[in-house]
Amino acid sequence: MKRELKEIRLLPPLAISRLGSSPEPLNNYDVVVDPKDPLGFRQITSANAQTILVDTSTGEVSDICEGLEVTFKDEEGRVRPVAPFIELWGRFGDDDEWSHLTRDDVDLDQLHWRARLGNVKAFRRTGDVKDRILADSEWFNDHAFREMHGKCDNFLPGKVLPLGHVQFIKPTEQFPHIRFRYTPAEGKVYGSNWFVKKADGSYQPANSADDPTDSGSYLQHDLNIADVVYNSGPDGGKWAGYTESSGSALTIPAQIYAGQSGANGWVSSGYLDDECDGIIEVELRGKQKLSAFSRIGAGPPAYAPDSFPIRTVFDELEQVLLGWQIDDGDYTDEELQHETEEIIRRAFETIRLMNTTVMNGNQVGPQPDIASTMVRQDRGDTERAFEPIMAETIVDNLAVRALHQNIYASLSSGVPPWFISVIRKFDEIGDLSTEGRRKMPAMMRNADGRYLTLTRRQREKIRMASKRLTSTTEKKR
Amino acid sequence: MRSRFARHLQWTKRELPREGVPKSARAMLASFGDVAAPAPEEQRAISPEFNGHQYAIFLLHVAAEVEHALMAEYLFAAYTLGGPQVDGKHVDVVRQWQEVILGIAKEEMGHLCSVQNVLRLISGPISFDRDDYPFGAEFYPFSFTLEKLTLDSLAKYVVAEAPLDWSGAEAEEIRKRANESAGSDVNQVATLYHLMIETINNVLLVHDDAFRADTVSMQASWDEWGRGYTHGQRGNETHAAPAATPELIIEVVDSRAAAVDLLQRIAEQGEATDKGGETSHFKRFLNIYRAWSAIAKKDPKFDPSRPVVTNPIVEDSLPEKQARIDASSTATNTITDPTTFYWAHLLNVRYRMLLTGLMHVFHVAGSLASTTKPSARGQLITLIFSEMYKVRALCGLLVTMPVHRGGDPSKHSAGPPFQMPYTLDIPERESDRWRWHRDLLFAARDLLDELAVREKDSPRLAYVLSMRDADTNTMAIIEAMIAKLDKVSAEVTA
Repeated sequence: MKRELKEIRLLPPLAISRLGSSPEPLNNYDVVVDPKDPLGFRQITSANAQTILVDTSTGEVSDICEGLEVTFKDEEGRVRPVAPFIELWGRFGDDDEWSHLTRDDVDLDQLHWRARLGNVKAFRRTGDVKDRILADSEWFNDHAFREMHGKCDNFLPGKVLPLGHVQFIKPTEQFPHIRFRYTPAEGKVYGSNWFVKKADGSYQPANSADDPTDSGSYLQHDLNIADVVYNSGPDGGKWAGYTESSGSALTIPAQIYAGQSGANGWVSSGYLDDECDGIIEVELRGKQKLSAFSRIGAGPPAYAPDSFPIRTVFDELEQVLLGWQIDDGDYTDEELQHETEEIIRRAFETIRLMNTTVMNGNQVGPQPDIASTMVRQDRGDTERAFEPIMAETIVDNLAVRALHQNIYASLSSGVPPWFISVIRKFDEIGDLSTEGRRKMPAMMRNADGRYLTLTRRQREKIRMASKRLTSTTEKKR
Repeated sequence: MRSRFARHLQWTKRELPREGVPKSARAMLASFGDVAAPAPEEQRAISPEFNGHQYAIFLLHVAAEVEHALMAEYLFAAYTLGGPQVDGKHVDVVRQWQEVILGIAKEEMGHLCSVQNVLRLISGPISFDRDDYPFGAEFYPFSFTLEKLTLDSLAKYVVAEAPLDWSGAEAEEIRKRANESAGSDVNQVATLYHLMIETINNVLLVHDDAFRADTVSMQASWDEWGRGYTHGQRGNETHAAPAATPELIIEVVDSRAAAVDLLQRIAEQGEATDKGGETSHFKRFLNIYRAWSAIAKKDPKFDPSRPVVTNPIVEDSLPEKQARIDASSTATNTITDPTTFYWAHLLNVRYRMLLTGLMHVFHVAGSLASTTKPSARGQLITLIFSEMYKVRALCGLLVTMPVHRGGDPSKHSAGPPFQMPYTLDIPERESDRWRWHRDLLFAARDLLDELAVREKDSPRLAYVLSMRDADTNTMAIIEAMIAKLDKVSAEVTA
């Protein structure tokens, strides 16, 4: 007789998968700072990271190993997907600790799962509900490796957008814990036509000399797409050829889809990718029905896994969960110092991926405005004079990186941070004065279209760390 | 060495005897073209060995030295504030004082660079020199002393930055305290600036053709040096600075009017003139003095400073014997703790790298062609800022470390020695200047290697390793500069 559960949860509540076409998912790893090379790249290590190996044909865990080799591509050069596990946790009474449930805790026949995924990028643009691409597994409780077919009213007959697989992992005597796995799609591009269309709707003439894959020496074959799924014919949708310029209902900036410049704006090529996000639901249909859900998302692979951006989803969620304010006692001095160091480390890791000279708005050769930068955006959005952000002479990438590394090094001495005044506040993102544009983080835009800031909570951590009158090394002595 | 300055320093004498002006000097004043000689009562005495132009340069050198000394003294004082002994109820106010004094030190750095700009404008040699211990009181506001912040030392800073007409009971009390603390009358920086402004503004002393607008490209600009550190109110998180907080003054000058205006603004930032007001160094120091006095009346044991020894120095070799701590302002205290010894030498090397970088950067022009892209000057500025950060961190470390072997830093702690290098001269050839930086970096690396061993079980090890890593990256930049300059040189030769 199993004890009756009081509550269940799916953890983590949000899991992010990464696309990849290899049948072998990426092994688990940690990213750590090497104390002997504190300013170097973070090290990828699987020494203490457990990888759960699954036989998809049976749905059973075949092994759980530590220290497996971590390669981001398989031997055939295919990217290994990141396929997260969602765990079923529960507790039997209000005073119990939450625990990862096993088959001994739950009658597996009573456990039912459902996955609902969506890719609504085209719908976000066109506003046509028929452009929504949705996949629904319906309720199930077997252990099959279930394909998630994205369906859309504007797809060609019989066509679907593959959005990955879901599987209820079969608990065994050896590996009794209850898990669910989402394996994302391959990371392919799907289209509306096998041939390249120009912005005016006519087809791109072939140049057979340049394009040996040319079909019939008449039209240029579109090498980007894996399959044509979208019906762009008279009875279909408007995604291929959809055009937008700018406007308050659009994203900031607008026109962020594959296409080409046309007479009235940016013309969509009708591409679709196999990214998606959605909800995993579980129901325990016992005497009393218990339910829980978790969110998943599928994004592109991490091509710089040894560097972290200055502001991440983690920072957003932390702020949502804990608020922006920090009270005395929430963190120790050492923790605040470490948090500050981590932000600065991420700053120089971010700089490592930037072309600071171009992003500052420097002239490159004879060209004064070479790329899409905040400088161009300041002019485009507000008619501010086109003017580089920092003095042009001081933005060499290695120098800027070295400067931030020296700040990081100085912080590791234990002295409180001293630079809070140059960290941009959340309400200064539109400050286009010379001083305002030079605040940190510099040269980058946020999703709101204006200058990037740290989250308020990130900034508050630095401010709190600045309040000390003692060195952290002194206190440890 | 400083006696070479002192013999020309008549400005410290407030009432100059007009009749004492040598005829040769008067003759010099009248020697500019067809400008009529001023009446004797309008003349100012200057050394018979100077013409007006040389006298202006001389005064600017004195000003640079004073700004440099004050910057070091204020930095030292600021870092002595704090420590575990500060009662929790006073932590916020003490931290505010520290922020205020560090801000003033930063502004002195701005003054120092601005004075170099004026030197460049009138074709004078750049000067980042200053006296070492002891003392040069003839032209310093007071004897150069690195000491922990006390009401006595604070009184000296208040008086040094005070306007010439500061008077009243409070002024008398603080002046008396300052003079007793300094062992002689504290001079006011304002005197020097007023004299400098008067001299440079005098067409008879410094002729129009002395102002070289074509030196602008060799000067420090706010764009390159100010970064985000200008108006304090943007970042006045602790409300330590007054509402209308001051700017970091770094300004390019291209004419007599611009130079005079710049020097006036610097003077105003120091004194409490109408324009300077609450934001002046004088007022800010005075506010701390008043607040400290008020707390000390209620709590006589109040001591917001760490027990940092006065004028800490480090010798080339570790002394076998250690002297007793000498608290007098004219004494030096030799660091004898072996680990602190290496950290203190590291501070001196980094301080030298900072000063050498400053010397170098004023010798590298931002030509029109190179101002649209990263330049050698930009690299140097980055190097200088990096060294500033290191100096800051090292100051923070040294005030927590023992001064004597086996000593207890909670009783007597070391501090940054800020000992001047034997020379600030830099080589003639540009590539050799970068090799100069490389040499200093090698010296720093040797010290860091030693510290990596000594600190292997200390929480300070993280800093040693980080700094060594950062230096490796800086070395790569320097090597690239040397290779590039050598290549250009080889092409020119070919």
